[in-house]
Amino acid sequence: MKNFVKLAVVASAAALCLVACAKKQQPQTEPEAEPAPAAVAPAAEPNADSLAAEQARLEAERLAAERARLEAERARLEALINQIMSEDVYFDFDRSELTEKAKELLAQVGELLIKEERFTITIEGHTDARGTEDYNFTLGAKRAMKVKEFLVAYGIDAKRMESVSYGKEAPKVEGATEEAYSQNRRANFRVNIKE
Amino acid sequence: MDKMKFFVRVAALALALLPAASYATIDTIAVDVGISVFKTMPIGVVPFAEKKSIDWIEEKPHLIVTRDANLSGRFDVVSSDKFDLPLFSKTHAKHYITGKVTPVGKMLKVECFLYASQTKDLMLGESYLVEQKDMRRALHQFFDQVIYRLWGERGVASTRLAYVSKMDGIKQVVVSDYDGFHRSQITRDTTISMMPVWMKGNAGLYYVNFKTHRPKLYSKTFGGTERAVFPQLDQTYSPAVNPKTGELLFSSTVDGKTDLYIGNPETGKAKKFAYLKSNQTSPAWSPFASEVLFTSDRGGGPQIFAMGKDGSDLRRVTFMGRYNERAAWSPEGDRIAYTSMDGGHMNIYTCALDGSDIVQLTSNAGNNEHPTWSPDGKLIAFSSNRSGSYQIYIMRKDGSNVTRITNSGENTSPTWSFFYDDFKQPKKEGKK
Repeated sequence: MKNFVKLAVVASAAALCLVACAKKQQPQTEPEAEPAPAAVAPAAEPNADSLAAEQARLEAERLAAERARLEAERARLEALINQIMSEDVYFDFDRSELTEKAKELLAQVGELLIKEERFTITIEGHTDARGTEDYNFTLGAKRAMKVKEFLVAYGIDAKRMESVSYGKEAPKVEGATEEAYSQNRRANFRVNIKE
Repeated sequence: MDKMKFFVRVAALALALLPAASYATIDTIAVDVGISVFKTMPIGVVPFAEKKSIDWIEEKPHLIVTRDANLSGRFDVVSSDKFDLPLFSKTHAKHYITGKVTPVGKMLKVECFLYASQTKDLMLGESYLVEQKDMRRALHQFFDQVIYRLWGERGVASTRLAYVSKMDGIKQVVVSDYDGFHRSQITRDTTISMMPVWMKGNAGLYYVNFKTHRPKLYSKTFGGTERAVFPQLDQTYSPAVNPKTGELLFSSTVDGKTDLYIGNPETGKAKKFAYLKSNQTSPAWSPFASEVLFTSDRGGGPQIFAMGKDGSDLRRVTFMGRYNERAAWSPEGDRIAYTSMDGGHMNIYTCALDGSDIVQLTSNAGNNEHPTWSPDGKLIAFSSNRSGSYQIYIMRKDGSNVTRITNSGENTSPTWSFFYDDFKQPKKEGKK
């Protein structure tokens, strides 16, 4: 959640900057003050000063490219974060050992974290709805810890990771079926970007 | 005032009628030494006389008394429209309760009487001047006096329950009277609140909240403000209040390892309670706070262990099955109630202190969890989803007489209050 907000802030900050830059530069290229229409639709007035129009067109292209680049970067980070956040690691009932599948997934997460050094993560441990609230807190904590230990062994600085247990309080899937239970016995990630 | 005079009169009556008093005493002893835990005393209940026509919004008083009698686990109610000696005699109802209600302005004067059936001697009388909405509580007070008169013990009709109720999808802590009435919401957070337990003296609650995205203990006195307790410790939960000192025993999870800590919630000082390799949670105090029960995962799954308050004499209590959790030590000191999972369902059991003599209290009725003893040790409250949604139930300590006390939404994790220390023995001025 938090990281989405942050991304949104970054994105909107970038957009503001672009707008501001555009405003600052337009008077220089076209002091006669017909800025907005010229920039947005330069072809609308073919008989106007062609040099200025060409400059405006190039500038618009540059801005668009820059916007696209930032957008691509934002999308890439968002995709990475979404990928990490969707990499839920599943466990067997009342167990906290990592399965082979879990280890494969965690290795991918480890790779991402090595590449994106600004990412810090919170590992959340969860249980299914069966059992007591109290014991499930300890079980969720053990699961989160097993994930953290794996990632430390993979080479991620322990300082970049926090672990917390939600016990059975935050199920991903509601219901009292084995299908729901197996989806809820998990550890998942929250990602923050260190500024 | 009027009421005082009334009591003087009752006291005089009691003195004048010694035979009646000794009659009651013998009865009390006969019941008290009963071996069976569910030995009950028949008691007659007769509708209260109404001096003017009354517009009843609440249940009528004899129905409230009847519910108290049934919930108490101590009585079998013999209902009758009027005093009926043959009926009371046949059913061995040696006492009966009735009363009189008189409107006084906007208030009701509720006079409550306990009579001996054979002699019609007045054994106990109370008078309350209350608004109709407060009549239920007045009758609870009276009923606890009846229990004291007939059993020589304190009843629980004036005690309360704290539990967790889901509101708009978020778990909040609420309290109600022990019978589910007079419910009030204690937490109003946008994040989960859970695991309420009573402060010593019932002045407020400790509970867990997730506002910092981690489970953390908070305290709140009734009508007061919320305060974080032991903020220096990470992920604190599973609180248990020492019934003698008010200290808090609880779990804290640091780097995936869960240990028991003990601390003073007033000063905020806390230290590790036991240095064990296993994870420990769900602590519970013995009635005199000399020993504790807790759950450890050292065998893999959760099992119940006991040890002295000083960390001595660690021993395993439960051996049957793979999942035994959340022990609660009975106020009488002789039994442990706990939750066990088998076949994917949770059920409530009791056992002796050494783990022997296991009795299953619930079965074939969904999940049954989180047993909490009434302070008189006669009853166990718990939560069950037997009706489809989780609700709070009360049963006798032998598993009989299961009564649902909440009706809507989703209610879990009941914790019974302590006795209220302002309980006075029969010669008492009632609340106005």
